[in-house]
Amino acid sequence: MLASFRELAVKSPWIYRINAGSCNGCDVEMATCALIPRYDIERLGCQYCGSPRHADIVLISGPLTRRVLDAARRVFDEIPDPKVTVAVGVCPISGGIFRESYAVLAPIDQYFPVDVNVPGCPPRPQAIIEGVAEAIEVWRQRL
Amino acid sequence: MNFLALFARNLTKGPYTEPFPFAPAPTAKRFRGKIEFDAETCEGCRLCERVCPAGAIRMTRTAEGMTFDCWHDSCVFCGNCEFHCPTKSIHQTADWHLAHTQDQKFLMVEHALIPNQICAECGKEALATAPATRTVTPPLSPTETQHLKALCPKCRAKFIRARKAAA
Repeated sequence: MLASFRELAVKSPWIYRINAGSCNGCDVEMATCALIPRYDIERLGCQYCGSPRHADIVLISGPLTRRVLDAARRVFDEIPDPKVTVAVGVCPISGGIFRESYAVLAPIDQYFPVDVNVPGCPPRPQAIIEGVAEAIEVWRQRL
Repeated sequence: MNFLALFARNLTKGPYTEPFPFAPAPTAKRFRGKIEFDAETCEGCRLCERVCPAGAIRMTRTAEGMTFDCWHDSCVFCGNCEFHCPTKSIHQTADWHLAHTQDQKFLMVEHALIPNQICAECGKEALATAPATRTVTPPLSPTETQHLKALCPKCRAKFIRARKAAA
């Protein structure tokens, strides 16, 4: 029963987005992945969900500003385990052009357990799809 | 009628969706992606390091010469380095396959070394950078450039001065 559930579950990971102070560039690209038929991430069974409690894969964008840390942590803890974290864009991975700013806490792997990184400023939708495909692989092993 | 036209087009042209994860994605020829560096043609002016807004490029003097490192996880693909590079030894490729797992985070680096060499004339140790020859008139021949590359900066200047005086 559980084994068959595992087989089924990896076919439909639900995605949740956390905007940790992003400029919206990466968010637009993430939205593009699902909302227009050209990229259509739903072919991989993925779907953006509105509630963190339904999510399996979480995409974090933005350099994690000091003010948003508490909210981002609370939302992140709402997501049930096992979850896979994908850092989208260079900001969460290294800080990008905001690195060493007093207002920014990047890189986010000091605060969240990141599994997959998708660098780019912003990464193109195909790169995000590639990252999500990698995240699904990680999730398969984790289930 | 519009619907019928769309319907007919979809029937003939097939789905609009790119088959990306299962087939290669179309990429523009001038897509600004991953940085590539060629140590052979680099003059060692370190302009790329200076103009990089994200601080992704770092050039360091070591015992072996000068190392070049570009961390793809910090690069914002602005193209400043390529724009300012006098020899175009740093350029952006159309490669955007950069998604990686966390354990590879610090391996996403373009690394190169400009080695030290012994000057062919004075015997001092200096960087084996490509000689800056753009402003030299008349233009240098390939053999002269080759000779210039084997010299230290002081001997290079001497060579250029002597050449100017002869001309």
